[in-house]
Amino acid sequence: MVATLAAAMLVALAPQRQSDTTFAVPAGASLSVNNFGGGIAVHGWSENRVKVHGETGRRGRVEVSLVGNTVVIKTGSREGAPSVIDLDITVPQSMALSLSGTYADITVDGVQGAISAETVNGEVNVRGGKGIVTLHSIQGSVTLADASGRIEVNSVNENVELSNITGEIKVETTNGEVMLTGIKSSSVDAGTINGDVLYEGTVTDGGSYSLGSHNGDITVSVPEGANVTITAATANGDIDSSFPLPMTSTLGKHRKTFKIGSGSARMELESFQGDIQLRRPQELHDRVDRKHKHDEHDNDHDHDKDHDADTDTSFSWALRSVTAYATRYAAAYAPKYAAQYAAQYAPRYARQYSKMYSRQYKTIYRLNTH
Amino acid sequence: MNDQWTTRLSEYIDGELDRTEQAALEAHLATCGQCYATLGELRQVVARAKSLSDTPPATDLWMEIAREIRREKAPARRDRLVRRRFSLTVGQLLAASIALVLLSGGGAWLALQPLASSEPTRFGGSTPRPRVGQVVTWTGHTDAAIADLQTALTQNEKRLDTATVRIVRENLAIIDRAIADARVALQKDPGNAYLNLHLANTMRRKVELLRRVNDMAAARS
Repeated sequence: MVATLAAAMLVALAPQRQSDTTFAVPAGASLSVNNFGGGIAVHGWSENRVKVHGETGRRGRVEVSLVGNTVVIKTGSREGAPSVIDLDITVPQSMALSLSGTYADITVDGVQGAISAETVNGEVNVRGGKGIVTLHSIQGSVTLADASGRIEVNSVNENVELSNITGEIKVETTNGEVMLTGIKSSSVDAGTINGDVLYEGTVTDGGSYSLGSHNGDITVSVPEGANVTITAATANGDIDSSFPLPMTSTLGKHRKTFKIGSGSARMELESFQGDIQLRRPQELHDRVDRKHKHDEHDNDHDHDKDHDADTDTSFSWALRSVTAYATRYAAAYAPKYAAQYAAQYAPRYARQYSKMYSRQYKTIYRLNTH
Repeated sequence: MNDQWTTRLSEYIDGELDRTEQAALEAHLATCGQCYATLGELRQVVARAKSLSDTPPATDLWMEIAREIRREKAPARRDRLVRRRFSLTVGQLLAASIALVLLSGGGAWLALQPLASSEPTRFGGSTPRPRVGQVVTWTGHTDAAIADLQTALTQNEKRLDTATVRIVRENLAIIDRAIADARVALQKDPGNAYLNLHLANTMRRKVELLRRVNDMAAARS
């Protein structure tokens, strides 16, 4: 069945257990899908049409409509509790996607538009995507590969894995690992509470890289020839490098700064309980390969990534001067926060300091004129 | 972020709002994610500033300024003065504004301290070091916000399925343990910048998770 969507259309897929519909879409159209339970699988193709295949079961139904320039696909149940429906959708490669579900696994392959995917109990697996890519799950792992743009990925109770990504990256989970491989980015912000964090990718001059965990190890590849200042901090773990590093400063046993090359990129590595490991890229390639092979043979997921904590929580950090501290963080945070905070604090402190200094100027002036 | 409360957040942190304004702002914070996020960032600034020691500049700038003023007042030497125009690059302005933020954050922190040290410092003011028991005073409002969000979650979670509620509770407990770890470490080392930031970030994660789950539950009403 081929239909052309005009101003608005509604297709209620027939009450068979499965059905298909294919229709042309206007240029620049986007796709919005909401499926309570089951699966949402989206594939890209070179045609300017959308094909929807639904495994609806006996009670399920699928509604397709065009709202503005958005193809909207919703699922429902003819009676009783929500149905479990598997949707298989094929779209133009450049189509922007907004996909949501509750008990739904979401997979996307071969799409080169912006992608938003969110589920509660289910996995999100995406290959492709360009522009703004945001992927969220609460109880389910999230993976993204071969994407570029501004990337935001998070889970709560599972692992997050990104590979072959170009662009600005923000990744977070609570009870899971974060694995970033094949990354080309000048801005990476990745963190978890319970789990390891691994970063294998470029370290771009002037870039900003922040990787943190509470209960896991942080492992980072540092390419030869990188220009980066690395600050590594751990409360109860060790800091270890597989290659010689020029020590810039050591603040206590558990915080070290290394300036490599010109040091123009900033890398902050922090773990409360875990170790911080600096490695060469090839070492991490080998490690990642071994992990993938191991994972293929091990479907027993262990979510308890706690490390045994020793009792050494002593710190003897002392920041030497306001100026050094301000300069350091100015470089890292200025572009984002300056306008915001300057507007907020300037009027207040301008008044305060003008009062303070005007008194001193008056005093000096009087001393000089008498 | 242009609402009427945006410019009042620093006063709120510094405890300079009266009770009525404070109550109004807190009510606003419960509904405005941007202000809440900004408040969290400001608190991080305060947390960072907590570790700063009041180190005087390498040279006493005021003496130089005063000397220049005296020179300007002396007619015989006036012609020798070279007038300088201050021309700052955008980067310098940004750096200066951030420095101001950090310093003002320190000011905010000082204002938050209930008892100032009587020990004089080289800066002429008092610079109380955090003491055990005072360490996490800056988390007070965040603690309150978390309590509010948890209350809301208790009311909203009946809209969620039991499996999701269980997962959320387990993860909140994981975050709580991390917060407790950071607090214990901070009691032993109050001035530690990393620990202050770690605590702030971990609390931010809890707020974000609570907000996310509350939003999710609200969407199902």
